[in-house]
Amino acid sequence: MNLPYKTAAVSALVVLGVTFALAADTHKQTFNIAPSGTMNVINNAGSVVLRPATGRQASVSYTALSDKVETDCSSTPDGRRVEVRTHALAGQKPTPEESRVDYEIAVPAGVSVNISTSTASITIENLSGDFSLSSDTGQITVTGVTNSFVHVHSLTAPVTLNNLSGVHAEIMSTSGAVQMTSVTGPKVNVSTTGGDISYTGNFSGGGTYSLITHNGAISVSLPETASVDLSARSISGSVENDFPLHDKSHTTFIPTPGRSFAGTSHTGSSWVELQSFSGRIRVKKQ
Amino acid sequence: MNCQEFQEALPHIVLESGGNAEEEAHLRSCPSCAILVQDLRYIADQAKLLLPMHDPSPRVWSNIERSLRSEGLIREGRMSLMGHITLTPQMNFPSQSKSWTPLGWAITLAAVIVSAVMLVNYHPVSPVSQEVLPSPAVSSLEGTDEQLMGQVAQQPAAVRSAYEDSLKKVNTYIADAKKAVDEDPSDQAAQQHLMGAYDQKAMLYEMGTVRSLQ
Amino acid sequence: MISPELSETEAIERAKQGDAECFEALYGLHKRRVYSLCLRMTGNTAEAEDLTQEAFLQLYRKIATFRGESAFSTWLHRLAVNVVLMHLRKKGLPEISLDEALEPQHEDGPRKDIGARDNVLAGSIDRVNLERAIESLPPGYRIIFVLHDIEGYEHNEIAEMMGCSIGNSKSQLHKARMKLRDLLKLSRAERAARR
Repeated sequence: MNLPYKTAAVSALVVLGVTFALAADTHKQTFNIAPSGTMNVINNAGSVVLRPATGRQASVSYTALSDKVETDCSSTPDGRRVEVRTHALAGQKPTPEESRVDYEIAVPAGVSVNISTSTASITIENLSGDFSLSSDTGQITVTGVTNSFVHVHSLTAPVTLNNLSGVHAEIMSTSGAVQMTSVTGPKVNVSTTGGDISYTGNFSGGGTYSLITHNGAISVSLPETASVDLSARSISGSVENDFPLHDKSHTTFIPTPGRSFAGTSHTGSSWVELQSFSGRIRVKKQ
Repeated sequence: MNCQEFQEALPHIVLESGGNAEEEAHLRSCPSCAILVQDLRYIADQAKLLLPMHDPSPRVWSNIERSLRSEGLIREGRMSLMGHITLTPQMNFPSQSKSWTPLGWAITLAAVIVSAVMLVNYHPVSPVSQEVLPSPAVSSLEGTDEQLMGQVAQQPAAVRSAYEDSLKKVNTYIADAKKAVDEDPSDQAAQQHLMGAYDQKAMLYEMGTVRSLQ
Repeated sequence: MISPELSETEAIERAKQGDAECFEALYGLHKRRVYSLCLRMTGNTAEAEDLTQEAFLQLYRKIATFRGESAFSTWLHRLAVNVVLMHLRKKGLPEISLDEALEPQHEDGPRKDIGARDNVLAGSIDRVNLERAIESLPPGYRIIFVLHDIEGYEHNEIAEMMGCSIGNSKSQLHKARMKLRDLLKLSRAERAARR
């Protein structure tokens, strides 16, 4: 290939590269957000990652994979509300892949954040505040959150909660599996229709834990040191237990081997209720 | 029977109806125990007359209302003549905002448009009286499953499939739970499942509506 | 407020459909009794308000399942009691380990009245003094007394709710009444001394 052609080819590649780079540009905006302010994020496809901010400002970095969508960011003058929204440009009908925008958001502690996605994944790490997360099919992962309200809605999105403490968690999933490891707090309610629910941890803190499903499987693994008042019931599914419990003298139902049991361990400080309609419930000692 | 024996038995004596013959005989012969029983009866009688005296502060209702709105349990728009629930955006409470109010006006307009489309396309089999309306947790939700699928029709195939599959599963849950409650209305576990199933259905509708407006 | 034309039954049906006004009307009708129950059982206004809020929220979430087999107020009341007991259980108050709490507590248990001739209480106590005395009861005594003598639950119902035996419930109630008797006599004596 002679030089002019080479030059033309390289130039074309550069132009293409620039074009893609422009389409995949990362933008960043920062906002003053009030200590009890709210951030709303709507992003159907791609990902949303939420991490702690170092100061009192919130920052939003976003990368769109096509030029058929754009991000609108705005905030109220008093910083009480910040809006982040992905939308298709007028006249454009982006494919699911073209709709993807990846967000990296940093917020100060104590802020309320509402995130709604369709297929985009949601990740929250090492924060405290109020979090309402909703996703149709995108994976939801919450890690290292303390003293917070965590509210999750999922259709088939798998939900993973790791190392949460002092939380009031309300998790509702139709078919997405809910996996919890070391999740403790005053109240943890999980309900699914078909999604499996698994809990590994000690249910500590004297809280109330309720895991209920239609026909998903409930698996609980807890250490012998766990102090729980534990009951498990299934209307037509099986119930298995190999965790040592003392029988309770009075229960609100009559324990039936293979269908239900109730008992306490140590001082029974946390209240744990496992219920399935027809799913299997299994409790085991770690 | 002496006083000590009588007082040890006292916890198990129903004050209103009295004790056995021996206990009653002791009461007749012992003024001190008789006064004790009289006092205890008086305390129990006075307790029954204690009326609720105090109201909680107004913030209690404010908090309840706020929670109900955020959970979608309060629907400000009443049932329309055609039996549909018109959705309005949740009110925003700055100190505890978990709602989508900043989009509220857009959602309101869109909800009105969606409701109008539903009304245009809805062909009732029989007129529904406004006075006798079935619980939305049962017939109106089930009756609008197809309309929910219509709301998410523009979503990618994988998402539509997720909604359709979820609807089927939740409807099965509701049917199973209803059957269990019908078989034994006092079964609290069955009632809890039924309530949970309805909650799941409400979640599907809420998510589908929000998705269609995004 | 519920209009004169709207009965409680109609309000409940409309509340099931999400009628905001009927939610509020039902709250207005029942808030005082629920709050008083919570206040008497906890002895703390802030806790009582939180528990009242929680009881009504649970009520409204479950209202679709209310089928009218019992009176609505009975249903609500039982729900409120369960909310309070669950709360006390989480706090680790004597209620959750009732069998331990029901052992004689010599430092505050009632004395056995043997051979003493006291003036009767009848006619000498008023509602305010009785309420104050109830507030002064230890939590375990107070809960049983409120549930049985004020709210009218039977011992078998209390035993089921609290996970104790019927015998324990009776014993605890007796101790509560004996303690109240002491407190009311003391209060009467103090008032007499001030005259």
